[in-house]
Amino acid sequence: MKNQAKTAKIASVTLLLFTYLFLYVPIIVLLVFSFNSESFPAPWKEFSFKWYIELFHSVYLWESFLNSLVVAASSTLISVVMGIFLIFYALQGGRIGNFLSLFYGNVVIPETVLAVSLLGFFTLMSIPLGLTTLVLAHTVLGLGFVIPIVYAKFLELDPKLTEASLVLGASPIQTFFKVTLPLLRPSLISTGLLVFIISFDDFILAYFCAGSSSQTISLYIMSMLRSGVSPVVNALSAVLLALSTLFAVLFFSLKTKVRIV
Amino acid sequence: MKLKFLPKQRSSEFPFTFGAPAIIWQILFFYFPLLIIVVTSFINISELGEIEGVTLKKIALFLSPTYMKVILSSMLLGVSNAVICLLVAYPLAYFMAIRGKKHKNLLLFLLIIPFWTNFLLHVYAWFFVLERDGFLNTLLLKIGFIHEPIHFLNSIFSIMVMMVYYYLPFMVLPIYSSLERFDSRLIEASLDLGASWFQTFRRIMLPLTLGGIRAGFFLVYIPSFGEFAIPELMGGDKYMFVGSVVSHYILGDQTGSLGAAFTVVACICLLLSAVGLFFLLNKIILPKRKK
Repeated sequence: MKNQAKTAKIASVTLLLFTYLFLYVPIIVLLVFSFNSESFPAPWKEFSFKWYIELFHSVYLWESFLNSLVVAASSTLISVVMGIFLIFYALQGGRIGNFLSLFYGNVVIPETVLAVSLLGFFTLMSIPLGLTTLVLAHTVLGLGFVIPIVYAKFLELDPKLTEASLVLGASPIQTFFKVTLPLLRPSLISTGLLVFIISFDDFILAYFCAGSSSQTISLYIMSMLRSGVSPVVNALSAVLLALSTLFAVLFFSLKTKVRIV
Repeated sequence: MKLKFLPKQRSSEFPFTFGAPAIIWQILFFYFPLLIIVVTSFINISELGEIEGVTLKKIALFLSPTYMKVILSSMLLGVSNAVICLLVAYPLAYFMAIRGKKHKNLLLFLLIIPFWTNFLLHVYAWFFVLERDGFLNTLLLKIGFIHEPIHFLNSIFSIMVMMVYYYLPFMVLPIYSSLERFDSRLIEASLDLGASWFQTFRRIMLPLTLGGIRAGFFLVYIPSFGEFAIPELMGGDKYMFVGSVVSHYILGDQTGSLGAAFTVVACICLLLSAVGLFFLLNKIILPKRKK
């Protein structure tokens, strides 16, 4: 019995090790070669920050980086605010249950299909493609996360708390701002982070709905991939990895149990 | 117990206005565009952009064997991706949720970081690893496992590696949360009562975590079906999948409505296959009832 437990333990550790190697080997190789003075496929020569310096001088990159930040921030803000409004309506006794299933569609439909249909819609309405259309599109994606998650968290709240607040003489608005919203804050922030990251990393919607004039970071990387490899992309990966690590740290420090996918 | 003296909760000053924005947005920018795509694929549009009547021609065009083959290969891509992800994810989620103890959060954290980094960078990283003079070939040559570099890129292999790499967290996370709710004393009980490890796994764990498995399976299967960037970048235009055909027609000149029709045909096939897979999954995982 003891032997069996030991074998099981060794097997599990090996398995974990291999899975995480699979996840991290490409990243580590990428990072190591971002400090190589020679361009790939040349082997390792010497340590240098050359590609990072080149990266920070690239105008296009920063433009697209900024665009992505603006799009992600606006779509996060819009979807979270609409989520808060919906919760407010629910607190007033609005029946949301029936509408909730409307928001499940976003998970059932592949993103490619959503992107294609939005492109058709924008063309039909003659809305020029650009960052605005991208914000519209990403907000749809965001709502698919915000509404179901935040509403579920709202239902988990103890109704006695809001009742107590109302009984003690607070108005519905005061109750909302002083009781409901503070209780929901952690889940609102973590869902917001999630929507931000999804928008920031999104490629498919940007590919169809951003038009040719505005670039996001994904479209920028795509164009670099198509034009052949350059160690500048390695340097960029290092920067973006640092950013996603930061987001993950923030997300975990909130300690809310919010579904991630 | 409901308190009688509670002030009336519903305030007429705040009607539907607050609930409306999200719902209107969702209908306007999600359901309406989908409707447009469906309608476009059934109507005839003249060169001047006028509607000339209803037609089934566009739909029929895509019912030919050539396009069905594309749809089938997308299904195959999706199913094989989901199955491989499931095989890798289940043990991983099991060790994270049940045996992880204090390392649980660290493992979860390490899974999330690559997941939250732009996937195109991972495509680029895999180029680096799989290239002719890349990391893997160099490593295999050094240890004398192979004598000639292998062409890993532009093959089904490289597509699958990238697909599994990207979609793995979509499978791990739902299974992880269903295993976290799973009472691990059931395993002990089953083992104490004389069941083997395999029986315990097959008859207790799998059926009780069906919810997570199912969620993960469809979270992987559905987007993989429409995936076009990974096959294009890792497969080098060699293989045709639904996503690539759709983007070809939609972004092509004057072929937008054909793209719409193909999207509709592909979506119907996706829906049918998803229903089929749903029942298949239930049949495989749930234990057979003895008569």
